[in-house]
Amino acid sequence: MRALGPGSVSSFLKIILDVVYVALVAGVIGAALLALAALLFAFNPSLLANVKISDGAQFVERAPLVVGGLLAAGFYMVSVLLIIGALRRIFTTLTAGDPFHPDNVNRLRLVGLMLAVLELGRYAVWGISAWLPWVRDVRPSFSLTAWFSVLVVFVLAEVFREGARLRREAELTI
Amino acid sequence: MPIRVSLDRILIDRRMSLTELADRVGVTIANLSILKTGKARAVRFSTLAALCRELDCQPGDLLVYEPGPAEELDEGED
Repeated sequence: MRALGPGSVSSFLKIILDVVYVALVAGVIGAALLALAALLFAFNPSLLANVKISDGAQFVERAPLVVGGLLAAGFYMVSVLLIIGALRRIFTTLTAGDPFHPDNVNRLRLVGLMLAVLELGRYAVWGISAWLPWVRDVRPSFSLTAWFSVLVVFVLAEVFREGARLRREAELTI
Repeated sequence: MPIRVSLDRILIDRRMSLTELADRVGVTIANLSILKTGKARAVRFSTLAALCRELDCQPGDLLVYEPGPAEELDEGED
């Protein structure tokens, strides 16, 4: 089974990434619309009279939390979307049989950066959750695996940079 | 790069076109242009041997060392 080129494992993975990407785009749009609706209800609760929501009063009371949660979910999905988008473009080059494309270096760096941002975002959510009175049972934990992954991706980016340099050298070797 | 490729002069001396040389040597015109314009980073011995064979010359006739200001050989150099 081939790993690179058309009809290979990388092209199969590219299809999966395409599907996940489209699903995430739909998710981001959905979260944005929900956040917008929650904001609307928060600023104008009289609108709820026209909408049937069970326990509407509690919904209005917790609207800022709902908006915050939706924004956090949106932020998470946008971060994952950026990662998946970069991976899609990387896998496009792998499918084309050109793994050491110079742009893959920045794409991998973006993946590493977004993984770090996601991890930091997790800490921020924990911090805010611990501060909120009605949120109980917050157990923050430090994930070494996540930071190890971030470092591995950054090292891989440098490996690809070296690969791109060697490819350039090979191109200019007559 | 302090190494200059004097392919132009030899081609004129031999009254040979770049296309003809490319056909004879089995190298693309694009690659020969890179060599001719001094953008090449390296030349394979096999290419050099084919060029010398077809142009009836020695490697020293094709390559000239011209010392100049020191250049950094990093990846940014093109």
